[in-house]
Amino acid sequence: MELDYLATVLLSSLSSASVLLIATVGLAIVFGLMGVINLAHGEFIMFGAYVALFATRNGVPFPLAVVLASVVTALFGAIVERAIIRHLYGRILDTLLATWGLSLVLYQSAVLIFGTVTPGVGMPQSNIEIGNYTLSTYLLFLILVAVVLIGLLYWLLTRTGYGIVARAAIQDPQTAATIGIESGRINTATFALGSGLAGFAGAILLPAFPATPSMGFAFVIKAFLAVVAAGPVTLSGTVVAGGALGSIASMTASFYTTVMGDVVFFLATITILRIFPLGISARWRLKL
Amino acid sequence: MFEITDATGGYGKTRIIRSVSMSVKTGEVVALLGRNGVGKTTLLKYIMGLIDVFGGQVSLDGAPLPASTARRARAGLGYVPQGRYVFPRLTVTENIAAAAIGCGLGRKEAVERALANFPILRDKAEALAGSLSGGQQQILAIARALATRPRVLMLDEPSEGVQPSIVDEIAGILMAMKDEATLSIIIAEQNLDFCLSLAERAYVMAGGTIAREVTRDELIGDRELLHDLLGV
Amino acid sequence: MAKAVKADMPRVARFEPFSLVWFCGLVGLAIVASLAFDPYLAYVATSWVIFGLLGLSLDLVWGRGGILSFGQTAFYGLGGYLGSITAINFASLTGNTLVWSLPVGMATGAATAFLIGGLTFYGRLGPLQTTIITYTFTLVLWTVAVSFTATVGEAVVGGDNGMSNIPGYVLGLGRDAPLLEPGAMFLTVAVIATIAWYASHVLMRSPFGLVVDCIRMDPVKAELLGYDVRLYQLLLFTIAGAVAGLAGALFGAWANYLNPSVFSVQEALLVPIYVLVGGRGTLVGAFIGALAVGGLSFWLGGGVIGGQTTLVMGACLILLVIFLRNGLTGGLKDLMELARRLARRRDQGEEAEARKSSLSVDFERLDLLRTAGGEPVVLETEDTFKRFGGVTPVRHISQSFSRGRVRCLIGPNGAGKSSYLKACTGVYKPDGGSITLAGQDITKTDPFRRVRMGLGIKNQRAQVFAGLDVRRNLWVAAYSRSRDARMADWITTEMLHMLGMRNSASRPASELSHGEQQWLDLGMVLALAPDVILLDEPAAGMTNEERRQLSHMVRALARTASVVVVEHDMDFVRTLDADVTVLHQGEVFARGDIESLRQDDRVLDIYLGRRQHV
Repeated sequence: MELDYLATVLLSSLSSASVLLIATVGLAIVFGLMGVINLAHGEFIMFGAYVALFATRNGVPFPLAVVLASVVTALFGAIVERAIIRHLYGRILDTLLATWGLSLVLYQSAVLIFGTVTPGVGMPQSNIEIGNYTLSTYLLFLILVAVVLIGLLYWLLTRTGYGIVARAAIQDPQTAATIGIESGRINTATFALGSGLAGFAGAILLPAFPATPSMGFAFVIKAFLAVVAAGPVTLSGTVVAGGALGSIASMTASFYTTVMGDVVFFLATITILRIFPLGISARWRLKL
Repeated sequence: MFEITDATGGYGKTRIIRSVSMSVKTGEVVALLGRNGVGKTTLLKYIMGLIDVFGGQVSLDGAPLPASTARRARAGLGYVPQGRYVFPRLTVTENIAAAAIGCGLGRKEAVERALANFPILRDKAEALAGSLSGGQQQILAIARALATRPRVLMLDEPSEGVQPSIVDEIAGILMAMKDEATLSIIIAEQNLDFCLSLAERAYVMAGGTIAREVTRDELIGDRELLHDLLGV
Repeated sequence: MAKAVKADMPRVARFEPFSLVWFCGLVGLAIVASLAFDPYLAYVATSWVIFGLLGLSLDLVWGRGGILSFGQTAFYGLGGYLGSITAINFASLTGNTLVWSLPVGMATGAATAFLIGGLTFYGRLGPLQTTIITYTFTLVLWTVAVSFTATVGEAVVGGDNGMSNIPGYVLGLGRDAPLLEPGAMFLTVAVIATIAWYASHVLMRSPFGLVVDCIRMDPVKAELLGYDVRLYQLLLFTIAGAVAGLAGALFGAWANYLNPSVFSVQEALLVPIYVLVGGRGTLVGAFIGALAVGGLSFWLGGGVIGGQTTLVMGACLILLVIFLRNGLTGGLKDLMELARRLARRRDQGEEAEARKSSLSVDFERLDLLRTAGGEPVVLETEDTFKRFGGVTPVRHISQSFSRGRVRCLIGPNGAGKSSYLKACTGVYKPDGGSITLAGQDITKTDPFRRVRMGLGIKNQRAQVFAGLDVRRNLWVAAYSRSRDARMADWITTEMLHMLGMRNSASRPASELSHGEQQWLDLGMVLALAPDVILLDEPAAGMTNEERRQLSHMVRALARTASVVVVEHDMDFVRTLDADVTVLHQGEVFARGDIESLRQDDRVLDIYLGRRQHV
């Protein structure tokens, strides 16, 4: 096997894993800091993608459109938290059902408004050549985005006041209240953060993954499984589980089909959970 | 002056404490005594707004306190729960910072102050609280409660499961705070020696209510009562 | 004896003819409907019944089992595909199509559910993780089905193009057997659905159903009664998978065509809606929900699936979850319950008075219940230790517990009493040493197996099944031991007499006072007739009178069983005339009877925490 081939496979797996991480961190943050799984996460990604698409079509430069998409989706998330999630605290299965309903409402609304197919954002495709193989520059750029994003989140959740308080509140809400922390407001902020990250993912992935109403489904299987496999130390766990599983799935996909990639991802997750029922990070002594 | 009037509360429909009234002056340390299951922990939880309230109120300097736990914390109640409950995946520094932020105080200053007052935590400042020993966690829980700058400090069984040298350390810390005379302190304890080294006055609970109020000297002189309290 | 008490004993978990009336009524209703409906309505209504069956499968696992599964459509779709493939290939042999599709559909659904359930339950995944796994399983199947093409005999599975030529409903035998008219098809499906409902109903009324209900309410307690919780969950999940597979096979024959949309989220979303609309845990509610949703969209025009329906249904699900989580029937029930409570409030005082006086233990019966005799059963721990993080709450404790005299474990807070007890019950797996029960090593044995081997465990907190009445609480415990309904009836009646709770037999456990719940919990443990009984602070929260009775009972029990009491309350310990072991910092500190320990200054010291301070 030649070196250029190996490097190409490695880089493309890494970029697939990065795409997965970008799409998953929002879900992981909400799960890690609120204990809630947002089944509408995929549709929040789609939401962000459409916001970015419309912004760029109306002349907003792409980087600014990404910021706009993140902010708008975060606001939408805050509204959802106040209107729905808040009423279901402590009823985790009901939260799943409600966000599932929301997921289909968003999906179907998108179908009604945009039709089933929308053209992608116009961006010059540039490629990079490694020996006899070519790779998309943008996909490589996404590796950098994933690294910066994870770094920023780690900083946000370990260095800022919000991050410390939010982590305290999920670890022990009652004790958190005894030192003056109101988990209600924290939860709105956290859900907005998670939603904003979903919106960011939809926007930043737009040049590689065109906006369609069903685009969320492309991410959610892997995203949900990665978060479940990650376990209680969500951010580090998701980076490891998402990275490893994402790479495996991507290699499988490059040898067989993307469908096989999904199947392998599912089977690998189940295997992991047989060994670590509470997720791989259950015994990790890490902050996040 | 910190006052509890006619406190009645419990869980769901189960009433655990009935018509408890007590008061603590600023600078005073008061012990809450009684056997297991008489409602000491429940009373502290009532004060902190952590259980269902059926009646009564809690007031500080004549002003009734709000119902929510977080607001009570900000209004000046500090609480060290039984079993400590530090945030295990937060570092020692972050545990203290969380309390300062929760009450709208500066976190840097709070951390510095806590590490100065509790040198034992200094070496462990960046360690996860879950990795500390039981005694260190207890000290951290006290430091965290103090980081909210409380005017009333409640400690639930601070000596439980803590090695003797650290119990002495805790006693020393509380003694120093008592000398500052800016705090009202309530200690629920089984460890009588520890308690009586600090408190001049004690409320004895039985069956969810205050059975009697005694001074330290009365208690030490009354062997019958001592045995009764310990159940030995 | 057994005969004498049977007369006043309402039967718990037994076949009830009442439901047979329902069965006949429903079949009659189906006949009338099949005659009254015009062919088109009969055709459409058939699909509602099929969806109701799918809803039933979810209600079994979610409403009764407490496991929210989004995988029911996966079992349904797989059952549909495999059942239909079989029917396409073999129906020409018999004429009758259903004899091929239905058994294969059910088997496929059951087998798939068994696999998924085995992975999640035996992997000890949490409820959230289980739901996510079932959800992603459905999504994965959907993506696979879209691109999966294969030819199996005469059946062509065409990926997104679906599979056509699925034979319709033929009941007659032989090559020329006719296709059923819509009316007859509706009747056939309705009868099959009624049979499935009736079978589920009977099953959930049986001891199996009662145990499933208990597991939903408190899985920990169910395990402490000796039930293999995961096995029950897996069986329930498999049965529900079979029901879903049956529905899938019926659907294939109804539509004559299947495509990957059976695995789609839009389809899956409808299932919890049916259950929620009809009321969770009612079983029949799933059909009511499916008929209501199907009927509504029929009158509004447009099919059940597709178009704006998804939008409306999604919104409905959100609203149902927030405002009416027990469904329409549940909402009505809540209202009636409220009215009942208001009416009851008036005579509550009187009742409380009556309750107090009725609580008395009939010790005569205690020996009757115990299968005394034989070799004493010994619980032994050798060098057991358990570590948590940096601290070791149990350090190398070696003890042997036998019958004859009550054994007490005492010690100040944090001495390691609870952790030691948890190592004995199996909640904690020790890091070293061994635990043996009646000579068998149980160091790594699951709690429910220890219970079956004769260990009775009463936790400090009263653990009762709040939604069941007192009688059923005791019955579930008695049944675990005997596995015989008659025997369980008898033990329950005896236990009610013994506990002095006959008058409260029909009251829900949730309405009992704290002390009564403790008492009931103890009764449940005794109904297991354990050889070794571990009691964790049994006197906590009891009144003086209750303590006195408890003390009597514990001493009486010690005659025939090894009784270990962990207690804080030295007064109570004193009344037990026990052999007392003092634990301190995870080790055995002293042992003797209470009076000699009282004289021991070292013991007093550790209780006082006596040292010099400041």
